[in-house]
Amino acid sequence: MSSITTKEFEMEEQATLKKQVRRAAIRKNIKRFYIYFVLVLVVVVFSVVRLGEVEMFGRGHFLNPDNIINLLRIAVPVMTVSGAFTFLMVAEYIDLSVGSAMSLSAVIYALMILNGFSFFPAFGITLILGIVLGAINGFLVMKLKITPVIATLVTLSLYKGIALLITGQGNSAIKSTPDKTMPAWINDFARKDVFLGLPAAFYIALVVIAVLVVIQRTTILGKYTAAIGGNRTASDLSGIDGVKVVWILYIIVGICAAMAGIARASYMSLGDPLSGDGMELSCIIAVLLGGTRFAGGEGDVEKTIVGALIVISVTVGMLTIIPAYWQTFVLGAVLIVSVVLNHLLVQNN
Amino acid sequence: MQTTQRKNRNRVPARGKMRNETFITLLMLAILIVLFTVAAFFVPNFATPNNIRNLITNNWYVIILGIGVTFLLITGNYDLSVGGVIAMTGVLSAYFCQAATDSRNELAIGLGMPYGLAIALALLCAMGIGALNAFFIVKLKVPSIIITLGTMMIARGIAKIITRGAQRNTSLPEVFGVIGNVSVPGTTIKISVVIMLVLVLLAYFFERKTVAGKRTYLIGANAEAARLSGVNVDRHLTMLFIFSAFLAGVTGILLASEFKAGISSRAMGYEFDALVITILGGVSVAGGFGSVLGMFIGALILSVVTSSATGMLLSPDWQFTLKAISVFIAIIAQGYFLSRRKT
Repeated sequence: MSSITTKEFEMEEQATLKKQVRRAAIRKNIKRFYIYFVLVLVVVVFSVVRLGEVEMFGRGHFLNPDNIINLLRIAVPVMTVSGAFTFLMVAEYIDLSVGSAMSLSAVIYALMILNGFSFFPAFGITLILGIVLGAINGFLVMKLKITPVIATLVTLSLYKGIALLITGQGNSAIKSTPDKTMPAWINDFARKDVFLGLPAAFYIALVVIAVLVVIQRTTILGKYTAAIGGNRTASDLSGIDGVKVVWILYIIVGICAAMAGIARASYMSLGDPLSGDGMELSCIIAVLLGGTRFAGGEGDVEKTIVGALIVISVTVGMLTIIPAYWQTFVLGAVLIVSVVLNHLLVQNN
Repeated sequence: MQTTQRKNRNRVPARGKMRNETFITLLMLAILIVLFTVAAFFVPNFATPNNIRNLITNNWYVIILGIGVTFLLITGNYDLSVGGVIAMTGVLSAYFCQAATDSRNELAIGLGMPYGLAIALALLCAMGIGALNAFFIVKLKVPSIIITLGTMMIARGIAKIITRGAQRNTSLPEVFGVIGNVSVPGTTIKISVVIMLVLVLLAYFFERKTVAGKRTYLIGANAEAARLSGVNVDRHLTMLFIFSAFLAGVTGILLASEFKAGISSRAMGYEFDALVITILGGVSVAGGFGSVLGMFIGALILSVVTSSATGMLLSPDWQFTLKAISVFIAIIAQGYFLSRRKT
């Protein structure tokens, strides 16, 4: 009698265990694939909505090839920066100054082009600037031990201030003046058709993303990043030089912000000192949508990129349906929604 | 990460010695006096009574915001939504009490409520944003920096939607423009400044003399220890977030009244200014340390810096850089002096 009950009990236990395993597997798969589902959903919604009198870029349908090309061209800066941003968030750090670093890079790049630099020197110098900007952030956070939020909020103000000072009072941007004309080729990098209608900037962004994915998946830097975000004390005790690793991450973000600045300056053919405003917000949304945990330790670059595409699709797609003054609210709402999604699907609780 | 900083700041001083908070406040006061003296020598017309009064009164709105931000920063949380809440409350208070008449201009049609009801409702909406912040931060454990960035956009977004990206300034009742423009009888000091001073004094009392004030510090120093010793940390944080949004709402109503308009682009970047003055005043970004009085002195330092920049005819573009540099100097100086201070 008693042996039967034990057996029954064991079977029952096994059944519940199986159920738990299955539930965990479902959860894991939802976690893995929901981001692609959201992207498809967003695209479908915007494709189905009859645009009627408001037409996107005067070209009509959301899935029109011209429109997709334009979307991807606009998405270049967000894709580049948010990819690197993932690393920082995985390590449980943050960089709010990305937008200003991007604006400053755009201003410097445009200034050099305006003064007769050719493409490659200007490109190289701007990247070096990006390294410097990232290194400053890393220094403040890792060496002076200032909380990341405050340190990068202050450099946000600093970089923006410098960009505004370089542009000069009374000018809205670095652009053609009566004395100097901006060369027309500044546009080529971010607009000229290289392959499949997409410009060089897009393919360079893809290469950057590929490099970031490889760094995250195969190199020790990627492992250390996850370790630092997962458990700081444990990573310190196991001999990981947290200061050095995070400093490198800040520099990577700086480089990506500089590339984004170049892409934006080429796209607009001018150096706008406010062009990067709000970039930190787009990056945070992209990273959260991509399923990176708030508490760090977990997150994928490629999913962040999908998140970035969602952000761009929503912001651009919304413009076709509702007036432009809704933009701020929509971005805020998207952030809240991504926080809720992230909480429901990713956080372990 | 911030352990060294925290250790230095929270060291208990020996009996009869000055508290570290008082020390930092006095240090910043000394810096304020030095800065003022230097500015008085180099900037024309700086040390005139008129200018001194302006230094204290011109920043009233940032100081009101700074009170809420100070308490939140002491608990280790940020509130970046205050600027958006100012815009939203200002616009809503205008929208609620605009006359509900037919007009060709859609921005002139409001809800026609009496002014008292309009500001009460607008304040409730502001507190709603605070409650939203608190819900996500306390219940869902979302980092405050992320969620308040989002509610900042939500609040400003609401302001933009209601004003269609512009402002509401027509068919407002006469009473709308009173509270922000009326002065204390016999002087030219605005009532807003008096409200600011009263709020600072109340906040100082709250901070030093009430149990809730002490709990704020305890939560900032160690939230887990606070919870274990019976403090309802969640409720306390919720109250602080709603309080901070409420103060932003009051500021929004006063500013809208001063301009006789609900402007959707009002208060851009005020959240940053509020953070700047709290840090200049010695509030630790690691939590558990700081005072409202320090924040007040920080605000005076900021106005000395910005107004001497204006006095030396620097372009307004300089303000971003100047604020950044002064915050860095303040953080480094405070850390240096605290670590050298023997207890």
